[in-house]
Amino acid sequence: MTNFTITLANQGGAAFDVDQRKPLLQSLREQGVDLPYGCKYGGCISCAAKMISGKVDQKAQRALNNRQINNGYIILCVARPMSDCTLEVGVESHDKLYRNPFLDPLAPHELKADIAIPLEAKK
Amino acid sequence: MTNHCCGPGYASPAEAMTAPREKLLYTIAIYTGTGIQKPDYLCTIDVDPESSTYSQVISRLQMPGIGDELHHSGWNACSSCHGDASMERKYLIVPGVRSSNLHIVDCGTDPRSPTLFKVIDGAEIKARTNLSAPHTVHCLGSDIIVSMLGDAKGNAPGGYLQLSKEFEVVGRWENSMGSIKFGYDFWYQPRHNVMVSSEWAAPNTFMPGFDLEEVGHLKYGREIHFWDFEKREPKQTFYLGEDGLIPLEVRFHHNPDSSHGFVGAALSANIIHWWKDAAGDWQWEKIVDVGNEPHPEWPIPIPGVISVILLSMDDRYLYLCNWLHGDIRQYDISDPHNAKLTGQVWMGGLLGRAPKVNGVKVTGGPQMIQLSLDGKRLYVTTSLFSTWDNQFYPEIRTNGGCMLMVNCDTENGGMEIDPLFVVDFGKEPNGPSRCHETRYPGGDCTSDIWV
Repeated sequence: MTNFTITLANQGGAAFDVDQRKPLLQSLREQGVDLPYGCKYGGCISCAAKMISGKVDQKAQRALNNRQINNGYIILCVARPMSDCTLEVGVESHDKLYRNPFLDPLAPHELKADIAIPLEAKK
Repeated sequence: MTNHCCGPGYASPAEAMTAPREKLLYTIAIYTGTGIQKPDYLCTIDVDPESSTYSQVISRLQMPGIGDELHHSGWNACSSCHGDASMERKYLIVPGVRSSNLHIVDCGTDPRSPTLFKVIDGAEIKARTNLSAPHTVHCLGSDIIVSMLGDAKGNAPGGYLQLSKEFEVVGRWENSMGSIKFGYDFWYQPRHNVMVSSEWAAPNTFMPGFDLEEVGHLKYGREIHFWDFEKREPKQTFYLGEDGLIPLEVRFHHNPDSSHGFVGAALSANIIHWWKDAAGDWQWEKIVDVGNEPHPEWPIPIPGVISVILLSMDDRYLYLCNWLHGDIRQYDISDPHNAKLTGQVWMGGLLGRAPKVNGVKVTGGPQMIQLSLDGKRLYVTTSLFSTWDNQFYPEIRTNGGCMLMVNCDTENGGMEIDPLFVVDFGKEPNGPSRCHETRYPGGDCTSDIWV
């Protein structure tokens, strides 16, 4: 069993030892961290957190578009750690999560993965 | 409820209109997506003008966990069971869109302070039916069905969950989803053996928020579906195209003999009308087209975004909300082919026409509405869906939602915001919350269907 350390930058730098096989939401909640969540299948964005450093496997997430991913967002209910990570959690970390879609459109490469056009493909 | 010997509801829409005035409302309020780590809850609101607590929340029923996103709700029984003396309109089914939990709330034992009777766990629903994201609840005489917008992983099209009257999961209601791409709302009209369903998007698409670009990638709906109600399978689909982008609330005439019905296309900001012609074929047309409005700071005009429509019990008036513009409109649809604008009021919205009403800063726009059975009082709430609120009206996080009441002139048409009624959800005890759908204990203009 491999464990990693998850540091919550916006909760006083509190650090938690987590199992790499479990979703981060589950590991952190089991250790008493009070986090928002909703669907628990990676589709609803309620549990989004901002990754300051580290690496996760979040292949199962369906909620984030590529701009949100480029801004560091991860979906805690399905993301599993692949290294030690530092995160900002909760709604306080959602400053770049929401945008007015009429005022701030996405570029083709910033759409969700299944419909995005990669930057290099446009050439 | 009535002077009759029978079951719940009313013998006819006309009888429903003569019922006593509503004294209580049940309105859901959410903390999901607000940053406040508290459960969503069901509010009981006093709407008896003779009461000392008029226009106040008098009780709050918290759900067991956080993150449900309570949204719509429906009764265990309605006028479709009027002939069954063993039935009682007692339980409100209150789904969580995100959690897929179904909360069964006992509103009958103490109508002023409902209690939680049972929870059907979302995990059980997913495991047994491969469905998630519950939305509309309708009683179907001996059963209850719920539109479920996704499969167990949040992909479209989902299907329909059937519950027994004892609130046990029976399974999938439909025999086939045919080629339906998305689910959302539905309404049935049994004398025409028809159910009509509309389309939002896959839960994985709409739950995280609104990416406008995904409309062009066909990830949002633009079709409505006519079902063979008895066979429980779709029979005919109308492609509404650019006129019908994101068709949401479905309303048939309350008159059970009528084939006329309506859907609000949210993004196109149109009202679509359908009916059965003399040859027995379904037809559709656009009867209302809300134009986009310029905004001083926007590069493109703002669409109205019709987030809800509703018909008065006598089927004379259609009400709609333009959630982004900020107006509620009343149309006389006595001739359903020719809707005539007869009333309009403003509250909130992005156009800045009515930022403050009755002393409360309105954050959001007119959203869910519920009309009294006599057609004279329209209760309005301002929050749409937590993630979409966060995109268009981010200040709602600190200001909360609110409820207002609009007095409607049923004789000559016309609407006026009541100056004495306001419920400010920004001042809730656990912090600002957001209010959405409302139900009345005795049934309302979107709860009851006559068989």
